[in-house]
Amino acid sequence: MINSINNILQIAVLLICVFIALWRSLRLRSRSWGLLAFFFASWVLGDLYWLFCLLFFEATPQISVVAVLSWYAAYIFLYMFLRQTAPPDGVGERRLLPWLGFVFTFAMAVFFMQRGEYLSNLIYATLMGLLLFASIRRLIYPQNYPTQRPLCIAILILCLLEYGLWTASCFWWEETLVNPYYWFDFLLTASFLLFLPAMKKAVVK
Amino acid sequence: MNYIENTYICLAAPLLLAILCLRADARRSLSFVVAGMTACLLSAYVSAFAAGVTGTDLTSASHEIAPVVEEIMKSLPVLFYLLVFEPKKRIAISGILMVAVGFATFENICFLTSYGSADLLRLLIRGFGTGAMHVVCGMVAAVGIFFLWDQPWLQAVGSFALLCLVITFHALFNIFVNQTGVVFWIGSAIPLTMVLIYLTVFRRKIRFS
Repeated sequence: MINSINNILQIAVLLICVFIALWRSLRLRSRSWGLLAFFFASWVLGDLYWLFCLLFFEATPQISVVAVLSWYAAYIFLYMFLRQTAPPDGVGERRLLPWLGFVFTFAMAVFFMQRGEYLSNLIYATLMGLLLFASIRRLIYPQNYPTQRPLCIAILILCLLEYGLWTASCFWWEETLVNPYYWFDFLLTASFLLFLPAMKKAVVK
Repeated sequence: MNYIENTYICLAAPLLLAILCLRADARRSLSFVVAGMTACLLSAYVSAFAAGVTGTDLTSASHEIAPVVEEIMKSLPVLFYLLVFEPKKRIAISGILMVAVGFATFENICFLTSYGSADLLRLLIRGFGTGAMHVVCGMVAAVGIFFLWDQPWLQAVGSFALLCLVITFHALFNIFVNQTGVVFWIGSAIPLTMVLIYLTVFRRKIRFS
């Protein structure tokens, strides 16, 4: 029951986000909003695929590649937005701190590999590492990316909640509200809403 | 038992002859249609092989393997054309859509030969639904490739992400159309509705800066 509510809530929020991002993309003729719409759309399609497999076949997919590809795509769209809006030359960006993103994601990948697939975890670690790297760099060099601070905070929150969610799923399985997995997933759902005002600020200025 | 390669030869032969006789745009369009049909034929082989290797049953393969294989195969002729001929945007978008149309046409013919042609209403819904789904996938890919990115490396990475997106959309469609009753109707109606919305509302608005 709690699982279904969680899934449906996330899908509903994501669908709203897709429509808002798509509308703004068309109204403002903005590529950035277009990329955000693709990010939300990829995520919601992965969720829908998973949900309908459970609904119609009463089992998770035997080969989970389709849903996983969709979530990879979501991270790629988000990273591409960051790359596309980066200034041509990052002046004086030589600190080591952003690399902590990769250290964290690959350390977590090693942990997850003990329970799951190797390739999938490596790809997730790379994509999440790229997102963390780009976000941290923008946060510690605000002069180079003056309008992107809220968006980078939103991305950081999203990545950390994802890792919280995945870690919780390794230790807790029961379908009750006591399970931290659901707390993280509800927070993740809420975090999608942060992207809309953050993107508005990043794009308008 | 169906021999789809025989069906393919019967369909492709007149088209190939026409390609030899036609010129310019018509020849290019027809070539894309044949490329789409060929991609569909090869997808059937690759999907069957992958399902055999992974031990997947027919129902699961239709939404777990076939969408991945079909979308990759469908993208190959377009990718070849884009990389080798570096066409103009308008021509490339038409090419993507024509490949999708060729693919959908041959897929519908395979469906006809497998399940018969008695139920006109179901075939009508399926025909339009499948056609619309492949066109939607092609449109999404075209919008992404030509309007969202400037730099070549962004186009490459972005095209992969778009491929992942359309694979999931295709898989969802396959889940729906493999059901019966209302779910089948809804599944077929979704891509059709998307095409109609595109034609009526968004067509003039998709012109990114």
